[in-house]
Amino acid sequence: MGFLAAARAFTVRRGPPDVSAPGRAGGGWKDALFEHGTAAATWLVLFLLIGIAASMAWGGRLAFQTFGFDFLTSAEWDPVAGNFGALVPIYGTLVTSVIALIIAVPVSIGIALFLTDIAPQWMRGPIGVAVELLAAIPSIIYGMWGLFVFAPFLAEHVEPWLNETIGTWPLIGPLFSGPPIGIGMLPAGIVLGVMIIPFIAAVARDVFNAVPSGIREAAIALGATRWEMLSRVTLPYTRSAIVGAIFLGLGRALGETMAVTFVIGNSHELSPSLLMPGNSIAAAIANEFTEADTELYRSSLIALAFLLFVITFIILSIAKLMLRRMERLSGKTQ
Amino acid sequence: MTEIPVQSAVETTPFTGTASGQPIKIDIRNLDFYYGKTRALKSVNLPIAAGQVTAIIGPSGCGKSTLLRTLNRIYELYPEQRAEGEVLVDGDNILDRNYSLTRLRRRVGMVFQKPTPFASSIRNNVGFALNFFERMSRSEAEDRIENALRQAALWDEVKDKLNASALSLSGGQQQRLCIARTIAIRPEIILLDEPTSALDPIATAKIEELIHELSQSFTIVIVTHNMQQAGRVSEQTAFFHLGELVEFGQTSSIFTNPTETRTKDYITGRYG
Repeated sequence: MGFLAAARAFTVRRGPPDVSAPGRAGGGWKDALFEHGTAAATWLVLFLLIGIAASMAWGGRLAFQTFGFDFLTSAEWDPVAGNFGALVPIYGTLVTSVIALIIAVPVSIGIALFLTDIAPQWMRGPIGVAVELLAAIPSIIYGMWGLFVFAPFLAEHVEPWLNETIGTWPLIGPLFSGPPIGIGMLPAGIVLGVMIIPFIAAVARDVFNAVPSGIREAAIALGATRWEMLSRVTLPYTRSAIVGAIFLGLGRALGETMAVTFVIGNSHELSPSLLMPGNSIAAAIANEFTEADTELYRSSLIALAFLLFVITFIILSIAKLMLRRMERLSGKTQ
Repeated sequence: MTEIPVQSAVETTPFTGTASGQPIKIDIRNLDFYYGKTRALKSVNLPIAAGQVTAIIGPSGCGKSTLLRTLNRIYELYPEQRAEGEVLVDGDNILDRNYSLTRLRRRVGMVFQKPTPFASSIRNNVGFALNFFERMSRSEAEDRIENALRQAALWDEVKDKLNASALSLSGGQQQRLCIARTIAIRPEIILLDEPTSALDPIATAKIEELIHELSQSFTIVIVTHNMQQAGRVSEQTAFFHLGELVEFGQTSSIFTNPTETRTKDYITGRYG
């Protein structure tokens, strides 16, 4: 395979200097096998990444050709008439993710600061593990819980109240008025928020731990209170890395499928109300791939997948860049 | 934090036993320090003279940094650390639970081993603590910032870029920035914890010159593992070994004519 040959050429040319004892007979081929084996495993990942992106772009080409740019701006999704537009799922994906961030960011940063700066030493380990275990709950369980427990609760207790209070306010009122059915973009966003808390909290905790202790002590020695130290020293110091952590959570929220599919309502109607059912890219694909009986329908779903891939790829790249900046920063001043 | 009036301890014997005959600024009495169960300082008695530079020297792990960290109670950030005994600053026991930390941190500033600039502009770094202790107008704050930077011999290098990030400065400049930040709140005492150990010789020389200047206005306690530095900057020197104060006296006599063999062995390079 040309690809592997290229990979081998790369490792041979730029590989580490030969460290094996000079003049040792035999065994050399094992070293070579080991080096090329590890290199091949690494290149395989890149190859898969590019391959998946390319095959989705290829699979979605019919939809892109047929609808052009309208595919992104049309809110119509009519399998019978063969008209497909991605606006509703894109809108739903973004709205649910934003709701998730609004909920998860303050909670996660609160958890992280509590674990690094406030909790007594003996409490830090167990609570840290408990938070990480939230991430170990399979998303299907979040989905079922959302549908059978959380949605009825919202429909009965929270949404009527939202309708009566915030729903009557100017400007943001329309967001919170609508039938209290418990299924829709708001519940999906809330469930997503709970799901991404462990990811943001765990990364944020590591980031706060990476702040040199001298910096904290310097603030305290100048007479700062704990709050002043956190808000004026720790948070600014970690700003870019915290944005990175948030983007990491956003990346997960954008692509989360199962839990969202359960509670978002799977309706291709564009509605200003967060209480109304909507759709997200991932939920639309999961729901409809079995029904995609025409070439164009199938291609439209793959085109949706391609869009999601591009969006999450960009978001996660930004997250990695931001987190790396923090590493450089703390490396410099530690 | 509420300011609680402190019981004065003046009725205890006035002790004027500093090596130089200067009045005492900090009087450390029977100080023990514990990291958990480990006793890091053993019954330390040390009078520190006002308006002078006192150097604390000794091999690694002798408790010299621990002593410094007791003087502004920064160790209280860590619940397993505790100090017993008395540290009298102008007669007030600062280790007393009722002694206000706000008041203490205003009177005692500290500069750390590695430069600790905050991720903010040079101006914000120096002005960081200004509004913690007193209300002042913007222009007053600007004046204080400029004065502090001048006193720290940094003004000429940064006056045109006060809004630049403090992290863009060199290591030596960052350390002088930290000194400026400390003196901006006008403390009475400045603690320096090996302030030049992360710096090159030229930056070190600048800081030493600065310490000399600052001793006109502040009482300075400096921890150093560099004996030449102690000899250059300090009037008095305390030698610690394994948590005990072994010898304390005029710097000149400690270095030329130590009375204890352990001191002699250390300063002649026998160990450490």
